[in-house]
Amino acid sequence: MFNLAILKDTVAVHPSDFGGPQGQAIINELNKKYANRILHDVGLCICVFDLTEAGEGKVRYGDGFLWYKVIFRMVVFRPFQTEVLLAKVKSSDHDGVRLSLDFFDDIYVPVHYLPTPNAFDPNERAHFWVPSSDSESKPHELLDTPIAERMWIDKGEIIRVRVESDEFYDDEPGPIKMTEGVQVAKEVQSRAPFTIFASMAEQGLGPTSWWNAAQMEEDAEEGGAMDEG
Amino acid sequence: MTLPQVINARAALLSNYEVLSLLRELESDNLARTKIAHRIKKEEEASGLGSTVPAGGGKDPTKVDAHENLRTVCFEAIQYLSSEFQPTAAQTPEAITQLVKSLEPYGLTKAEKLQIVNLAPRNHVELYVIVEELEDRLAERMGEVISGVEASLVLDPALPVGPQAPQPDTQNPTIEDASGYWEEDDGEYNGEEFDDQGGDIEGDLDMEEE
Repeated sequence: MFNLAILKDTVAVHPSDFGGPQGQAIINELNKKYANRILHDVGLCICVFDLTEAGEGKVRYGDGFLWYKVIFRMVVFRPFQTEVLLAKVKSSDHDGVRLSLDFFDDIYVPVHYLPTPNAFDPNERAHFWVPSSDSESKPHELLDTPIAERMWIDKGEIIRVRVESDEFYDDEPGPIKMTEGVQVAKEVQSRAPFTIFASMAEQGLGPTSWWNAAQMEEDAEEGGAMDEG
Repeated sequence: MTLPQVINARAALLSNYEVLSLLRELESDNLARTKIAHRIKKEEEASGLGSTVPAGGGKDPTKVDAHENLRTVCFEAIQYLSSEFQPTAAQTPEAITQLVKSLEPYGLTKAEKLQIVNLAPRNHVELYVIVEELEDRLAERMGEVISGVEASLVLDPALPVGPQAPQPDTQNPTIEDASGYWEEDDGEYNGEEFDDQGGDIEGDLDMEEE
């Protein structure tokens, strides 16, 4: 889930921090700048791991700051492809399930990555899987299945998923558009800068409670067989 | 805001346990600093001085830089990494190193080993999703991997489940049950043998070298 990224940047340290250790002052500035921020094609920055190299602080004309060129290592959240994660169901809708890791919640499981056959029950606001049903079943047929046969993917449940892909979206505002001398209000971009797509369409993936129950049954059977033997 | 130059976006992998320890350290540092600031402020107030800025100029010691973003991400990440569905609470650095060493003979990739450490699979289904083509590559040795994982977790401090756990020599019935469990589980693989498995191989996941 987490990895170290090596980055290079220039940071300014305010004169009021000159009294303390400079390394700590630089780390503080870097944390201020990067923590909880998404870097394109790198991932979500958590905090500075350490400084690898810092140049001599230089004073530039016009301010009293000391400017340092530094190379540092950053703890970054970016799970690799095929990595298995545990996450909590945040919400569900017709398009799929949205998952949360508390500190990051742009993880989506689209409908085609849910275990088949599945359907979305609008009354419960949740998807469900019908393991006993034919995988060719249509959603409206599934909605007629007895409630007891359904395996629900409820809000708040802990889900094991596999990362299939991720996507960065650069939210660069770009030049202001003008029409007949009037500034055109840009439509609000609601796309997340970093999105992860995950799958639960595989044996062992999905709510952990499904598999814990299955495993316990298996163990019970094994135990039973041993008793007989 | 200038963008940094990315030298290597993925220089090394970190285990969840390592990240959690780092964040906890950061949080307690922050807490300690806040406490000191509060104390200085109280002393200053008691002595009746108006300003807390040191005579020679510099930083006001009663003000702690509140990096809102850092605090938020730390708090939330700690919350996730220490949830009850994560194995981090039962892990120790020594046990993780031991676990990585014990995984050496199975020819697992670095990513697979990392996930075994992060997710601590304790049954076949969990291991199945982590290791590709599990049946072909591990076959009957799956049980050994799972025992290795279980040995690395301090599940209940009362039971000597891991090599790190104390081994009391009392005739306590619960402890007898636990050691019996090891023999039953895999025949030739119990806690003591696991201790000898180590060898001198350094754990791949140890990225801590400064």
